[in-house]
Formats: sequence, C-alpha cells, structure tokens
Amino acid sequence: MAMTKQEKLDKKAEKEYEKKHQRQYRMSAGDWVFEIINHAFFLIFTILCIFPFYYIFINTISDNDLVRKGAINFLPQGIHIQNYVSMFNVNDVGTALVVTVGRTFLGTVLMVMASAFVGYLVTKQEMWCKKIWYRCLIITMYFNAGLIPWYLNMSMLGLTNSFWAYIIPGIVAPYNIILVKTYIESIPGELEESAKMDGATYMTVFRKIIWPLSKPILATIAIFGAVGNWNSFTDSLILMPDAPQLHTLQHKLYTYLNAASNLKSVMNSGAGTISGAAAANVLNAKTIKYTISMVTVLPILMVYPFMQRYFEKGIMLGAVKG
Amino acid sequence: MSKEKIADKLYVVLRVFYILAFVLLFIPALNPARISELIPQTASVFTCGTSYGTLTQNFARAFSRGWVGTLTLQMVFGGCLCIILGFVAAGAGGCMSLGTTKLKKIGMIPSIIGAVVAFAGCMMINWAATDIKGTPKPDRINPMDPQNLTFYIILCVAMLVLSIVIFFCLPKVEKDEKCYIETKYQLFLLLLPFLALCIVFAYLPLLGWRYAFFDYKSGDTLSMDNFVGLKWFSFLFQNEATRADLVRVLRNTLAMSGLGLATSWCSMAFAILLCEIKSLKFRRFVQTFTTIPNFISWVLVYAVAFAIFSTDGFVSSLLVNAGTMETGTNFLMDNSHMWIKMLAWGMWKGLGWNAIIYIAAISGIDQQLYEAASIDGAGRFQKMWNITVPSLVPTFMVLLIMAIAGILSNGMDQYLVFETPYNTDTITVLDLYVYKLGINGGRVPLATVVGMFKSIVSVVLLFGANKISKTVRGESIM
Repeated sequence: MAMTKQEKLDKKAEKEYEKKHQRQYRMSAGDWVFEIINHAFFLIFTILCIFPFYYIFINTISDNDLVRKGAINFLPQGIHIQNYVSMFNVNDVGTALVVTVGRTFLGTVLMVMASAFVGYLVTKQEMWCKKIWYRCLIITMYFNAGLIPWYLNMSMLGLTNSFWAYIIPGIVAPYNIILVKTYIESIPGELEESAKMDGATYMTVFRKIIWPLSKPILATIAIFGAVGNWNSFTDSLILMPDAPQLHTLQHKLYTYLNAASNLKSVMNSGAGTISGAAAANVLNAKTIKYTISMVTVLPILMVYPFMQRYFEKGIMLGAVKG
Repeated sequence: MSKEKIADKLYVVLRVFYILAFVLLFIPALNPARISELIPQTASVFTCGTSYGTLTQNFARAFSRGWVGTLTLQMVFGGCLCIILGFVAAGAGGCMSLGTTKLKKIGMIPSIIGAVVAFAGCMMINWAATDIKGTPKPDRINPMDPQNLTFYIILCVAMLVLSIVIFFCLPKVEKDEKCYIETKYQLFLLLLPFLALCIVFAYLPLLGWRYAFFDYKSGDTLSMDNFVGLKWFSFLFQNEATRADLVRVLRNTLAMSGLGLATSWCSMAFAILLCEIKSLKFRRFVQTFTTIPNFISWVLVYAVAFAIFSTDGFVSSLLVNAGTMETGTNFLMDNSHMWIKMLAWGMWKGLGWNAIIYIAAISGIDQQLYEAASIDGAGRFQKMWNITVPSLVPTFMVLLIMAIAGILSNGMDQYLVFETPYNTDTITVLDLYVYKLGINGGRVPLATVVGMFKSIVSVVLLFGANKISKTVRGESIM
C-alpha cells in the first residue's frame, strides 16, 4: 500500500530522531576502556577454565618422550593415541570404568524413577497423614547423623565392599523429590481428574499422564544425578576398603595421582602390550596420570555443552523452594 | 465390646509388632544368628540371610579342618532367610489389613504363614546353635548362646497367636464384598517402600550415636560393660591434644567458610559484568566454559592442579624453559597461604556456575527502569549500582543466609585431595577431621562425638537462619 505524504514525513522524522538518539549514546573513551577491560577479564577467566583440560589433553596425545621432558605446553607434537589404548588394557582402569558407568546408569535410572513416583505421590492431599511422611522425607535433606554413624550403618547393612552401596542409598533423593513435586503441581489438575473419571487408577495416571508430562524436569534431575554419580568419590573411598575391583574411576584417579608405587606395575603391564613400532611411546608416570584424568573428565566435557540448558534449568528450579 | 472392635485394637498391636520385626532385621546387636564369635558382629539378620559370603567370611579354616560342618552354617543362612521371608510375608498381610474385611481375611493367610515360617527359621538357628556346640575346637569357634533367639521366638509366637485371634474376631465377609483398600491407605502403601528406604538410610544411622557413649574400638561388641557415659564428651574438651586439634580444626573451618562468605558477592559481580557485554555469542561462550569446572569432581580439580603446578607441570616447565628456574618445583607442596589457595580453587570451580542464578535474576529486571534512568542521565555505572545491584540483593541475601547455615559443613573432598603432610595443620576442616579420626584412626566414639556436635550446631544454625529470614523478609527459606 502506498504511503501518504504525511506518513512518509513521519517516518523520516522518526529515522532522524533515532540517528540523533544513537549519537547521544555513542561510547565515550571511558566506556571503551571499560569494554576492553571487561572483555579481557572474561576472556582470561574463560581461558583459565578450559586451558588446563586442553593442556592435559595435548599431553596425552603427544609423543611421550617430549611429554616427559615437559616440552609440550601449547601445541601437540607427534600425535598418537597409544596412551589410551594401553590404558584400557591396564586391568583395573577398565574395571573402574565399567563400575563407574554401571553405577551412573543404574543409579540415575532408579533415582529418576523413584523421584518421579514419590514426587507424584506427595502431591496427593488425600494420602493418609501425607504431611508427616512428606516432612519425614524432606527433613533428611537438612539433617544427617554424621559420617561415622553413616559408615557404621552401611557396614551393619552389609553394604560395605558391595556394589549396591553405590545404588540403593541414592534411590530416595529428597531434593529431587521436591523439584518433581513442584513441577507436577504446575500441571493442570483437570487432566488427572478427567482420567480419574474414566476410571484410571493412580498407577495409570502416573504412567500415562504424569510421567510423559514431567519429562523436562526428569531430564534435569537425571543429568544432575548422572554427574553426581560419575563424580562421587568418597563413597568408594570409605565403603570399599577391601574391594579394589569396585573402586570408581575417580577413586582410581586419586590413587594414581598420589601413589607412585602403583605406577610401576601399570607401566609394566602397559609396556607389555606395546609392539616394537610404538616402543617410543612407553607410558611414563606423567602420561598415565594425565590419561586417566582425561578418561575421567572426557564424558563430562563431551556431554556438557549439549546439556547446558538442562543444567541451567536445574539451578533455576533450585531457587523454587519446596 | 464387639468382636470387630477387639479385632481393630489387636490390629494396632499387630502392626506395632510388624514394624518392630522390620527394624529388628537390621540391628546386628540383636542378631540371633550369631551363634559363634566367628560370625561378624556387624552382621544383622538381614545380612546373614542375604549374603552367605559375609556370614561365613571367617569360617574358611574351620570348614577345611572340619571343625564346623558347612551344613550348620547353611542352616543359619536358611534360618535367617526364613525369618526375613516370614516377616516380609507377615508385613504384606499387615498391609492388606488396611483394606476391606474381605481383604483383611485374605491378608491373615500370609500373616499366619509368615509367622510360622519365621518360627521355623528360629528353630533352624536353634538347631545350628546346639550343633555348633559339639565342635571339637570350642576355643577357636567360640560358640555363643543365641540369647536373642528367645526374643525372636516370642515375637513370632505372639504374631501367630494375634493373627489367629484376629482371624476369628473378624466379621463375616458379605457375599458381594470386593477386595479394596481406601484411597488414603492405598496412596500410603505406595509410598511405604520409599519411606522405608529413607528410614533405613537416613534415620537408622541415628542409632549410631549410641557409640558416643561406649568405649568402642572397631571389632568390639557393644555391651553395658564398656558403657562410659559422657566420658568422650569431657575427654574431647579436657584432653590437651584433642582440644588443640579441635581448636585448630574449627579455626580452619571457620576461616575457609568465612573467606567463602566474604567473597560470595564475587559471583554477583561476575554476573553483572557479564551482562554488560553486548555480544550474545561472546556471552554464551564465556558462560559455557566457565561453568564446566563446577561439574568435575574435586579429584579432577586436583588432577588439573597437578597438571599445572606439579614438578613437571605446565608452570614449572614454562619457567624452566624460560631459564628462571633450574629444575621444576612442586608448587602443590608449598604450604603457605593455604586458605587463600583453597578459596581460589573454590572460585575457579564455582564462580561461573554461581553467577547463573544472578544472570537469570538480571534478565528478569524491568527494562523500563533502565530506560527511565537513561533519560534522567544516569551513566552505565550509576545504572549498575542503583538498579541492578538493589534488584539482586534479595537473591544474594537468601544465598548468604543459606551459606551461613552451612558454615560448618564445607565438605571434605576438596581438603582431602589437596592435603599433603606439610599443610595438614592449615587444611584440616571439621569434616576431614572426623573422617581421619573415625575411619583412618579407628577412634569411633570420639569421631561420633565430634560429628554429633557438628550435626546439632548445623541444625541450630539452619533454624536460626530460617528464623532470621522469616523476620527480615517474611519468607522462610526451608
């Protein structure tokens, strides 16, 4: 549609106004200084956060001799993946990886299912003495008996030196229950009511309505649960003194970082697997430590950028109180 | 009184018995299956009936020499299993007692069977106990009288009798009655397994507080002989060494928590400055990479520290290459300024992540405020100081109050991994102290006392913080 003269004039005036306006907000010298310092600060802090991982990584894939001499600082040289191959052939790192992956998977799945179900149940006002039970669950978040009683309790239950010690205690997670409960309360109640009218039981409602609708929150708690499981270290340290085959990857890493005695045996068993051609890349103490670190951190580094929005959603939800 | 009312009353007693039976399964001190001192004293009925390996862990020699027949131990295992299954069946019957009369009647069947099976289990253990007394090497096997067995037998018989009495007291089932449990009980029963898990892992440990009143070394049994009352409580404060330890540890804990509190505004500043950056891409980039350290464990943080600061790490090799140093130094062994270093690692790990909540809060601020301020001639910093900061203060206060409540709980992972023989004095915090005292040092009662003290102070602080929040902001944080 053709514009009238008046409209054209208006438009022009508007543009001129905007130009003027912009000029008014042109940055002063002080602003420039601030911008530069601000950008520089964030750039440096970001580099500080990621450079160590990059440094460890280039040291694991570079020529081991150069690594030992400390020549690899910014760029990799003589790239090879022999370290990783040898590492997986070292028995106890392989088992530790299996244990850690197993506990992360199983622990997370069970925790999410239990949190979803309990979160749903505690939204039901008609439950007998609901308030008491809910408080019983939630109060455990703020109060615990302490490390020693916890340890004695676990050993009394026969959960020391047992894989189930990683899984069972984590099933009921009060904080996640609160998150799920808060989320379910935001789902319109009419959906459930109409299903109830059609004769659905609580279990059906949970399976057919609540579970699919609360998937966003379940994804969030799953991702936090998985990271927590992957990272947990003290339970392995305290509860598995006589079961080295059940130590988690984090615990193994801790052992390797601290004890030089372990390294010798690893080096020997690692060296055995290397053929003559790759003999230059015999593992040394430094590369072993770095390689295990990388194996431990890699899953998180790879998953994190894709899952970031879930993580951020998680902390936002944390701000919502139970 | 009508029969129905009697049945209702008896049901209350029966349910109490069931709960008691459930708890008993997990208490090793009352384990009837401990018929020899070779059976670990930390094993409960539950352990004995589910893990044959734990039950017989000390019997390898006894089996091979023929001092004890494997059958005896198998009987103990079977007996425990029967007790567990029996109690579970009885408990299931108890759950069904919340339903209609027909369901109550049906529920009596597992109740009665369960009680009988558990009784049979007790008898099996009894047989094993008599059998083991005939061992050729009583000094090695140390047979024990299972005194608690009588208690279990009484419990089983009581359950059986009660069930039968209730069965006959129940009114007749009407023909068209359905098996049905009222909604409110239905929901409760669905929750019950999770509640049980919660009780076992969060409330049952409270029983461990009793160790604080005994003279206990790991491996001992608790009996009234080594009851020492409040000895450990006074010991903690009267003994020179532990008192000095405690003072040192508390100083470290409070200093490091205090430093954390004093710098908690940093993440707010981080967020405000980050939001000043116009380029969205750069902002996303910074945010993505500065939050990563929060998701790696403290062990990995230590691995990072190791890669950068150890003898042949990044800094050392740079300095050696530059010719400033002859050989590398392990900076991690340097024990000066430990508190500041720990704070720095904490910041490295948490700053970017803690800023996220403030970034979200900033995006929630009404843009009109900024526009109005610009028209009034406010500059960039004036807007930050007069609009952004006041809008973030409520969030900041909540987080601060929570942090104050958690002042004693700074966790042990960080300090454990960074601990070296040189910095123990300045790095040991309360949690780490309890760990070293109890788990490494085996001084269980003393560590329990310290832990109790910490738990109680933490709860008091939390309620205090909640109260403050309520009076100041009119909103509770819990």
